[in-house]
Amino acid sequence: MILRIAWRNLWRRTRRTLLTVSTVSLGLALLLISLGLGDGSHRQMIDSAVRMGVGHLVIQQTGYQEGAEIDRTLAPSQVIDAESWIEKQRSRFPIRDRLRRVFASGLASSADGSTGAQIIGIQPEGEMRASLFDEKLIQGRFLHKEGADQVVLGEGIARKLKLELGEKMVLMAQAAYTSEIQSKLVRVTGIIRTGLEQFDQMLVLMHLDTAQEFLGLGTSVHQVAIFLEDELLSEPLATVGKKELPELEVLHWGEALPELRDYIRVDDGGNYVFHVFIFLLIAFTVMNTLLMSVLERSREFALLDALGLAPGKRFAMVLVEGTLVALLSALAGGLLGYSGHLYLHVHGLPIDAFYSGDISAAGVTLDPVLYSDLSFNRIAGSVSLVMILTLLLALLPALRAARAGNVHLLGNV
Amino acid sequence: MTLRLEAVSRLYQQGDQMIRALDDVNLELGEGEFVALAGPSGSGKTTLLNIAGGLDRPTQGMVWVDNQELTRMSRSRLAQLRLEEIGFVFQGHNLVPVLTAEENTEFILLLRGVPPGERRANVRAILKEVGLEGMENRKPAELSGGQQQRVAVARAIAAEPHLVLADEPTANLDSETAFALLDLMEKLNREHRTTFLFSTHDPRVMKRARRIIQLVDGRIEKDSPVVGAVLE
Ligand SMILES: Nc1ncnc2c1ncn2[C@@H]1O[C@H](COP(=O)(O)OP(=O)(O)OP(=O)(O)O)[C@@H](O)[C@H]1O
Ligand SMILES: [Mg+2]
Repeated sequence: MILRIAWRNLWRRTRRTLLTVSTVSLGLALLLISLGLGDGSHRQMIDSAVRMGVGHLVIQQTGYQEGAEIDRTLAPSQVIDAESWIEKQRSRFPIRDRLRRVFASGLASSADGSTGAQIIGIQPEGEMRASLFDEKLIQGRFLHKEGADQVVLGEGIARKLKLELGEKMVLMAQAAYTSEIQSKLVRVTGIIRTGLEQFDQMLVLMHLDTAQEFLGLGTSVHQVAIFLEDELLSEPLATVGKKELPELEVLHWGEALPELRDYIRVDDGGNYVFHVFIFLLIAFTVMNTLLMSVLERSREFALLDALGLAPGKRFAMVLVEGTLVALLSALAGGLLGYSGHLYLHVHGLPIDAFYSGDISAAGVTLDPVLYSDLSFNRIAGSVSLVMILTLLLALLPALRAARAGNVHLLGNV
Repeated sequence: MTLRLEAVSRLYQQGDQMIRALDDVNLELGEGEFVALAGPSGSGKTTLLNIAGGLDRPTQGMVWVDNQELTRMSRSRLAQLRLEEIGFVFQGHNLVPVLTAEENTEFILLLRGVPPGERRANVRAILKEVGLEGMENRKPAELSGGQQQRVAVARAIAAEPHLVLADEPTANLDSETAFALLDLMEKLNREHRTTFLFSTHDPRVMKRARRIIQLVDGRIEKDSPVVGAVLE
């Protein structure tokens, strides 16, 4: 009965109810889309950061994160330990790839000058599967097995040294475990643009074996990177790794890229402020509508009181009205927001319409198209938050309805 | 059900003037009485009925319904008492605007939790008796003033309360409908010993009462049995 009256009460002022419901549902939809884009962009950033170099997890010699010195390698036996540990985890974690890497800073010179270089030795087949390096190739071809003298250069360094495909250059670097400087003649087979300008101005990719030999590392490496199917499992796997490989450094991407993690936190914080604002908007609308509708119905509440509808039931009636508004809004807003998310999930939001050139933040390039990513928890969380908020805000009007009951309002017509 | 008002006064503040809407009213109604409340406009009829039903509290005095004293009851208890024992007809046609004639009539039964089958039959019969057959599904806005008035009376008696307080139940009605309504009230009074107290300006209606209380300026001026009233 209360439900029936409450439902009909809503449709007495069709326009106002619709207005309220649409405001709240638009707010909710906006919230969901914003959450989706926020999460989506972060996921994309993490993804590209991870694939552009780090990996979801890295295993390194203890202290390598702090000071990436060329001597701080994983000994061959440690590499084997680490890799067999990874293999063991495959039964519990969706591990896509594991890749060995070496890093060194050095000097690159051509006939036109010289510049600092960040040399990365990689396993090309694996990196092509797991990382983005090969996809960012703009000229030539990626590293391949044969040809120990091949390098792939970042666009910036190639330009600086005025190097074209097929041309030669000299790399110099300090070898491991000695203070000797080594040098090597290499040939440019490809040029890549990662979008991170500073990175591109130093990047020299070469085959792992070539790098190990050049740097006198033997079969030691600096890092074993792990790629997962699901970014969210990075932390759990790192936790296991820290426990089971105590003598090594097992870091998930958030630890390996603290700037990125902090950036995401700050960005989330900014979004949070925006979300609070949306919630306040919703709150104000709902409260305003309910309060107005209760105030203009004082006479009716007096009548209901006279007929024996106890204060508690009048209270409940307004709460039910609020709940109905909330339900309708949650439904409409949820659907709207979810469809918005679906659209942006599939088609994406082209942010290059607003910016020109590469967009990067916290040392990570952003894709020019932003894809929404919305977890069920996010949806459920926002929808229930809106519901709870609406109910809380219905309390005050409901209280007024319970108090209403001034018989003089029934008046002598 | 009996009703007793003891030294009841009700004062209203109007600017810096005090209006004595009821002035030391003493009144006792026994079970099964059928009483008209007469008096000029502004004499306090509505005020008295409201106080008798616990809708308004007196400035002074006490109100007893059976052996329950109303002036100190909580509002929830009063609502409960009205729901279970008292039927009201207000002077304005106070119907719930979002409900149909039938739903308005069954409102109290619904609140009391009477099963639907019983409720329906009961309500339809009463609406028929007040001449609203075929209008069950109309909302108040789709009914004339007189029709709304009849729904209000139907609502008050559908739940078979023990006490009916009716403020001008026959205002706005032609004599034929007015008498039909009175017949219905009398029937309820006879068959269930329901106590009736209704205010009226209408001499024809007064004649049907068995006791008339005359109010003037908030005081009972005359309280007398109707000469020639049909006594069973
Ligand atoms: N809420 C109020 N505030 C101030 N004065 C009031 C209020 N309600 C009633 N009064 C005054 O109390 C007196 C009695 O009013 P009441 O409504 O009981 O009269 P009534 O006999 O029902 O009149 P009518 O026949 O016109 O309905 C009147 O003088 C009226 O002006
Ligand atoms: Mg009156």
